[in-house]
Amino acid sequence: MSFIVDHVTVRFQCRIALDDVSAALDERRIAVIGDNGSGKSTFARVLNGLILPDEGRVLVDGRDTLTMGDKIRAHVGFCFQNPDTQLVMPTVAEDLALGLKPLKLAPADIEQRVEDTLDRFEIAHLAQRSVHMLSGGEKQLVALAGVMITAPDTVICDEPTTLLDRRNAANVLAVLKDLACRVILVTHDLGQIADFDRAVWFHDGLIAADGSPSEVAAAYEKSLSGIRA
Amino acid sequence: MITGLYIPGDSLLHRCPAGVKLIALVLIGIGLIAIDNLFLLCALAVVVAASYSAFAGLGVAPVWQATRAVLVWLALIVLAQALLAGVEAAAETVVRLLILIWSAALVSYTSRLSDMAAVLERGLAAFKPLGVQPEKTAFMIALTLRLVPAIFAIARDVRDAQRARGVDASVVTAIVPALTRIMAHADAVSDALTARGYERWDTAP
Repeated sequence: MSFIVDHVTVRFQCRIALDDVSAALDERRIAVIGDNGSGKSTFARVLNGLILPDEGRVLVDGRDTLTMGDKIRAHVGFCFQNPDTQLVMPTVAEDLALGLKPLKLAPADIEQRVEDTLDRFEIAHLAQRSVHMLSGGEKQLVALAGVMITAPDTVICDEPTTLLDRRNAANVLAVLKDLACRVILVTHDLGQIADFDRAVWFHDGLIAADGSPSEVAAAYEKSLSGIRA
Repeated sequence: MITGLYIPGDSLLHRCPAGVKLIALVLIGIGLIAIDNLFLLCALAVVVAASYSAFAGLGVAPVWQATRAVLVWLALIVLAQALLAGVEAAAETVVRLLILIWSAALVSYTSRLSDMAAVLERGLAAFKPLGVQPEKTAFMIALTLRLVPAIFAIARDVRDAQRARGVDASVVTAIVPALTRIMAHADAVSDALTARGYERWDTAP
């Protein structure tokens, strides 16, 4: 699965979130870093058509997000920063089953896939728990499981560990590391990107650096040194 | 009916299909209208309360939990009935209401929301020619119930934040910031539903 971002500009009222951004994404594990408001979350959302460009276009395996967003989202999962917005059913098992609705599977198949996913993410003990009673770390794992149950080719995670303590963050990152599919991780924690294949640094709606994680992290750190001084 | 309160279990009532329980609930509701003997009503109330332990393995705590949620309303109804129709009529009304509330709560405690939504979906299927979308209607009910605790959490956060800043945390001062956050939350949920394929429910896989 390839992503081609072709001269994309996104405006929110008078603010430019992405300014004529172009990139081709082919690597298996890609990190997107940057400060708050730098455009990295907007970039993540244009990749599966949650946000449509005001100018330019985004092609996913040749399909334009403008016209084929629903088809693209069937293969590109998205995990949000705040799992509370993503978990929409009362219990964990019901929420996982929700993601399978578009596939029109038989109830027995849905039940089996829910069970398999619960086991895979080691959250079977949460199956009948109310989602609003879960801890932050459990919610994020369930949200990720809810995306992965549909077996997407790519999963985009928008700061999935920002609201978590270090233990839960490490747990979620370990799960992300084990995923066989492509992972695009939006984060501002440079410690999370070392083993990625590529990193993209956003600044003021532009790509400030693009390359290996070590190079990009060094450039980003350098930009911060002036502030610290 | 109180929904979204499912307590996992493997009792007789847990294993009973949700549709059967819902039909039984409707029949109980209709039957209650025909009974005007206070002694019989009290006996029925005892049977329903005992069913929590006997057929659902839940013990007595959920009976009180269901009652507590409506205690104020019950008290008001009893008071009004006693003044307008007499003490005996008030007693009959309150026992009838308790039987209904306990029965409805028992169905909720022993039925997954998804099972009840599936029953609703089948029930609404007959109205498809009129433009009703059973699957989406059932989902919207489930979603609404899921969002109730989220909305309470937002309201609590706003009032806590106001208290922390020394602002009088009244309902009036909290309502605008709470509504703003609820709207933002609804927006985010809408994005999440899109990401999870809600728009593809009507199309073939």
